[in-house]
Amino acid sequence: MTVDTAMWYLGRIVVASPAFVLLALGVPLLINVRLSEKLQSQLTKFGVTLGLLAATAILVIMLVTGKRHVPIELGNWVTIEEEHFHFHLKFVFDRLSVPFTILSFVLCGTVGAFANVYLHRDAGYQRFFLLYALFLLGMVISSLAGTIETLFFGWELVGLSSALLVAYFHERPGPVRNGHRVWTIYRIADAAFLIAALTMHHLTGAGDFDRMIGKDSWPMGVSAIEPWQALAVGSLLLLAAAGKSGMVPFSGWLPRAMEGPTPSSAVFYGALSVHLGTFLLLRVSPLLAASLTLRILVIVLGLISAVFGSMTSRVQSDVKNALAFASLTQVGIITVEIGFGWYYIALIHMIGHACLRTLQLLRAPSILKDRQMLEDAVGARLAKKKPENAAPPTPFQLWLYQFAMHRGNLDAMLDGWVVRPFLWIFRLFDSFERRWTNFLSGGESRESDRLSPYSDSLEDVI
Amino acid sequence: MLLRAKFSAFAASNKNGNAVTTLELDEKPLLEGEDEHSVAQLVERAAGYLPTQGPIEVFVLTNNLYAFEDQPFHQALKAARDCYRAEPYLSEQEYRRLYGAGRITDEDLEAVVMDDLGERGLKLINGLGMIAEFRFAMLRHPVHVGPDAELRWVVAETDALERFREQTTRINRTRIVTATRKWLEGSGDRNGIPELTSLFDKFGHNTAKWSVAEWDAFSLQLLWRICLKGIGADPKAAEPETFVRPRDLLLRATGDDIDRDVHGVLIRFCAAFVDQGYSDWLLPNRDTGFFEAFLSLYESRTVGLEHWLHGLSSEVRRLKQENVSAEQYIEQALADYGIVASDREAFVRQTLLSLGGWAGMIWQLELGVDWVVHNAPKKSLTGMLAVQLLLERQAIWNLGRDAIGDSSSIPEVLAAAWKKVSQPQPLKRERRAFLLFQVAQMLGWTPLELLQLTEAEWAELGIELESFPSLERRRIFHEAFERKYVHATLDAFATHTARRRNVKPTWQHRPDFQIVTCIDDREESFRRHLEEVWPTCETFGAAGFFAVAMNYRGAADAFYKPLCPAVIKPAHFVQEDVGYTFEGEHQSRAQIRRQIGLFSHAFHKRSRTFLGGILTGVLGTLASVPLVARVLFPHLTSRIRQRFGSLLQPPPVTNLQLERYEDDPGPTNGHIGYSVDEMSGVVVRLLRDMGVTKGEDFSRLFIICGHGSSSLNNPHESSYCCGACAGKRGGPNARAFAQMANDWRVRAKVAAQGVVIPDDTFFVGAYHNTCDDSVVFYDLDRLPASHREDFEVSRKAIEEARQRNAHERCRRFGTVPLTISAKDALRHVEARAEDISQPRPEYDHATNSLCIVGRRQWSRGLFLDRRAFLTSYDPHVDDEEHSVLLGILSAAVPVCAGISLSFYFSTVDNVNYGSGSKLPHNVASLVGVIEGTSSDLRTGVYQQVCEIHEPLRLTFVIETTPEAMRSIMARNAVIDRLIRGAWVHLAVIDPVTSEVQVFKNGEFQVYQPSGAKLNEVGSSLECYEGSRDHLPFFSIHETEVE
Repeated sequence: MTVDTAMWYLGRIVVASPAFVLLALGVPLLINVRLSEKLQSQLTKFGVTLGLLAATAILVIMLVTGKRHVPIELGNWVTIEEEHFHFHLKFVFDRLSVPFTILSFVLCGTVGAFANVYLHRDAGYQRFFLLYALFLLGMVISSLAGTIETLFFGWELVGLSSALLVAYFHERPGPVRNGHRVWTIYRIADAAFLIAALTMHHLTGAGDFDRMIGKDSWPMGVSAIEPWQALAVGSLLLLAAAGKSGMVPFSGWLPRAMEGPTPSSAVFYGALSVHLGTFLLLRVSPLLAASLTLRILVIVLGLISAVFGSMTSRVQSDVKNALAFASLTQVGIITVEIGFGWYYIALIHMIGHACLRTLQLLRAPSILKDRQMLEDAVGARLAKKKPENAAPPTPFQLWLYQFAMHRGNLDAMLDGWVVRPFLWIFRLFDSFERRWTNFLSGGESRESDRLSPYSDSLEDVI
Repeated sequence: MLLRAKFSAFAASNKNGNAVTTLELDEKPLLEGEDEHSVAQLVERAAGYLPTQGPIEVFVLTNNLYAFEDQPFHQALKAARDCYRAEPYLSEQEYRRLYGAGRITDEDLEAVVMDDLGERGLKLINGLGMIAEFRFAMLRHPVHVGPDAELRWVVAETDALERFREQTTRINRTRIVTATRKWLEGSGDRNGIPELTSLFDKFGHNTAKWSVAEWDAFSLQLLWRICLKGIGADPKAAEPETFVRPRDLLLRATGDDIDRDVHGVLIRFCAAFVDQGYSDWLLPNRDTGFFEAFLSLYESRTVGLEHWLHGLSSEVRRLKQENVSAEQYIEQALADYGIVASDREAFVRQTLLSLGGWAGMIWQLELGVDWVVHNAPKKSLTGMLAVQLLLERQAIWNLGRDAIGDSSSIPEVLAAAWKKVSQPQPLKRERRAFLLFQVAQMLGWTPLELLQLTEAEWAELGIELESFPSLERRRIFHEAFERKYVHATLDAFATHTARRRNVKPTWQHRPDFQIVTCIDDREESFRRHLEEVWPTCETFGAAGFFAVAMNYRGAADAFYKPLCPAVIKPAHFVQEDVGYTFEGEHQSRAQIRRQIGLFSHAFHKRSRTFLGGILTGVLGTLASVPLVARVLFPHLTSRIRQRFGSLLQPPPVTNLQLERYEDDPGPTNGHIGYSVDEMSGVVVRLLRDMGVTKGEDFSRLFIICGHGSSSLNNPHESSYCCGACAGKRGGPNARAFAQMANDWRVRAKVAAQGVVIPDDTFFVGAYHNTCDDSVVFYDLDRLPASHREDFEVSRKAIEEARQRNAHERCRRFGTVPLTISAKDALRHVEARAEDISQPRPEYDHATNSLCIVGRRQWSRGLFLDRRAFLTSYDPHVDDEEHSVLLGILSAAVPVCAGISLSFYFSTVDNVNYGSGSKLPHNVASLVGVIEGTSSDLRTGVYQQVCEIHEPLRLTFVIETTPEAMRSIMARNAVIDRLIRGAWVHLAVIDPVTSEVQVFKNGEFQVYQPSGAKLNEVGSSLECYEGSRDHLPFFSIHETEVE
């Protein structure tokens, strides 16, 4: 067997194994067959292990043979000739995608094992693992994507599963609202991504990364497009990345994502999902090289996010929110690194951060015990006491504290400056329409106005 | 107020040893000028309804309804339902499931219904049957009338009016149809009844051609119409809805919940206010108080605040300028809302309860918790209420502007909201009719019979229907459920004690060894297995602090921690010292620990900051090693960690500094420890409680075994530990007691008080970890050579017993196969304790249902399925005043009832009384857990532990006489209240005659055993093998002694 055929098979296994898990867990659910917890966990374990082994084998082969760029073609799935459009499924194994794929498998695998015990007997066990499989598939597809359509496909799967996992406890209103919020932000990021993809199609005639970022293996590629084109596409992609990674001004969704069960918060928002934006920037790094303005934009955005994250993290008094903002800080720094063109450093930083944060989030409930042990070891209270003769806080300090406590008012600003104007316009049109229909029907035209929100008391009175 | 009364009762019982406890209600007299309805008074009274859980490091299980404890159980439940909007019982569906599974039988239901109705149950309603029958039918078969929309749907869309209900018996069905048929064929006056006319129009007049199904449908439709016509509307006029809080009114009027916005801000602020040092930045001006800190923070105008908060800063500045205090502000708000004087109390209570967890925590910190870093200044809770109202007003203005179109002033917004509220017109008549229609089918009432009812009889029927709603049905179900269990228990005791009278003691002169464990229900199986493994041993149960109430500091601890029930404030201090030889090593190890501690603290802190980027970049990837290892190989990882950890822990040889040289106890050198007199007091107290006082009672080896639990990643770890040690591990208490009892000076003084400990008896302290089932012993170096062999015997027996205990526990864990071997079971529970992904390392007190007080010889060998607290008590050692029993019960009744009731409430309504699912828990402010990113502070037992619990009130079975119990109840108000109010069940037993008397409705009644068979088996294994469910009682034969 030649190296190429081996790669051909292994590459397919890497992509097929999470797809297999998704099918194996999803199809029985559709036809209303209840799998036992044990079977589900074994299927998951099998799929993840297989994928991980295949990905590691590819890494080894690449190291041994010195190949640094292995494309796997799955052909065109949709073709519209007259519009020059084809949905082209293609995966690329290179210095960027292989480590990221392996990271996804390792973290997902570990968290899968964790969740199997953690969610035992929970009513949503099956749902959790279905979404988990969806997430894993999305992660693998987006890390290996060789065309922008493929990347978008994976990106969507990740977004969908993330939002649904945030809303995992759907019997309470909070998680559902927050899941909805996450989903909304993701859609904005998606829209930016989609427009970027269309623009790229328009500019290069295809969605292949090859033409946009050069044929050389990552990160040596050289973009063949003009700086202004790079800036246009790049800014859109930056917006998409900012939304996906929860950077300013979209940071409001990060703490909201902590509504799900601990393991999903840990791996998805603490570790993998949140890095997908920076991964995108790495993937299109030659674009950045082509435009200085774009690089400056990236650096500025990263810096703002990092400073914002570290400030906000300091006032959080609960573990998960503090870790969420701590993640943001690191994501901001990684973005800055990318802006400076330190791609390898950014990659290493990303992997290291993902591992550390997952461990910290999974162990978040240990905080009390850890603290006790530390206090015993140190022999003193760790909590800071306010010094006796401390000066009263200055107005600036008060402002800063309030600013951090309200998380920079980012959500409020989005609501006030984007959502409310939209609503206002829609309501305006609604009132026009009402006037018109009232005029036509010669009286009150909407029955729904007269319904009270609760027409029925749910109490079992008898 | 109530709370404080309870506390002082505990303290008194401890201070005076066995002395009589009286309840001192320290009603604080009102200060001059202080109005009963003043804000401070209102807040203090409302605080009585908040959860009492303090910071989670000391988790104490108490009755969630302590505020209602002065009422009888069922009445309190109803009151609490209105107060907390929480479920008082399981759902009717759940009781029906139990009924279907045979856990509630017809006999129980009948007995409880009759008992409940008394004479009234026998009353007949014209030819239809007795009231009791009526109720019984409603219990036996589901009578369901859902919400109006559902009722409409059922009548219009289902075949409820076409076909008989599934549960209708054939006889009743035939009866109804035949009667209808006969009547139609026989009578001539069918035209006189309008119901018939319209029905004939529908079905056609040719009755001869009708099929069976058509006859069914016809009879049912007729029945339905008669019910509908006869029953009429409820004579009581529908009461208009009232809303105490504006939030409820606005929610009803607009569908928008202003609490959501208000709580969002308030929760964050509360968390920052009570934070014990998690966040890096302290809340500015925290020490000035809740209200003041809030005002200072929001004084300045900020750009970009949430829309609804836009008016906040100007309002805050107004308050600052006019120097308005929190109380004054609350008064203003009350006036603004138009709360009338009679509603003030309810308003304050409900407002605080809407964020009850945080409010309760602030109240606890305001009262003062000894061991926390930051307590809250006085009046913090009032401040919180003021801030809540301040925010609420902003939200009302905003909602008025957005949804009601009126924002001029709050009274006007509320008035406009009132106009928007539409009073629902429930289908009262249809509901009643449909209920009756279902009952009629169950009891086979014919249309004719119903037609003959007079108006007065219809009204009576209507009243009967109204008086047995779902809540009442659930109460009866619950009583029946408990009756079944309590009767099974009493039968088992009657039979078992009779059997035990014929069993000879397994030892000749004295047992091979004796062991005392905590009364904890989890030790029941451990003791049972130990007695099976080594029949010549004797076991005892006593409250797990073993009368040693102390502040303890281990060699590696930084601070003293109280090891005694949470309600006692211990005066004594005990410290663990490292042996002189190892002192140097101890110092250097402590130094290393300190360095590592400081480093890791810095690391975790830095990893959240900007500079942490460098750290995580370099070290982050290494984190994958512990991550993968701890999740996939928990057991192995923990062993490696222990191996390395042991190099850093204090050296293995340590001493307790137990004896005091100075007069006053205190934490400093010389003041640490007990005087010899105090030690002898402790020893006498415990031995007398257990009834071990005579020389021949003692074996050569006496093991004192404390308990605790260790688990990882578990903020609720404290709730698993020993309740008698304030949620800590009780090992040091056992160790201290053994050391005291071994001291010959103490023994001399003890002998002077009438308790003679033989010279050859040696005490050994031990510690049982109920999570991984390990048992360790203390100070074995001091074991005399003469006792080596005795110890080896006991050690071997304990080794085997803990393995079997682990095996019995494993049947409850769903992931463990039922076929597991004892050895693997032990390994499993060990791994469980080390697994960071395990949300239920053990099941805590789940399934607890009994408390046995008496000599072990009568309950020995009875399989109690880990459901019983076992307290040793020998009435023969007690004095005339029953002071020993009083001492035992003063602690056991409130503590065990607290555990039982907190499990009861957390199980029947986990959302309101419990802390919900553990899966999204998030440690906040280092004082408790919240759900997800922002929620109320969750107190109570979490869902994963409650899942196997059956909500049953605790049944006390006490070896004593009714007279003794009466006198104890007269002397201790807490016990009296709990027993008289039926918060617990009480039965007394005389083991010599097996006569059982049950306390019911204020008096003792002799219980007649049903004579049900109590199965006899050879071992515990036979009782539980192959089952995961709750098990019946069994009698286990004494193991033959070789």
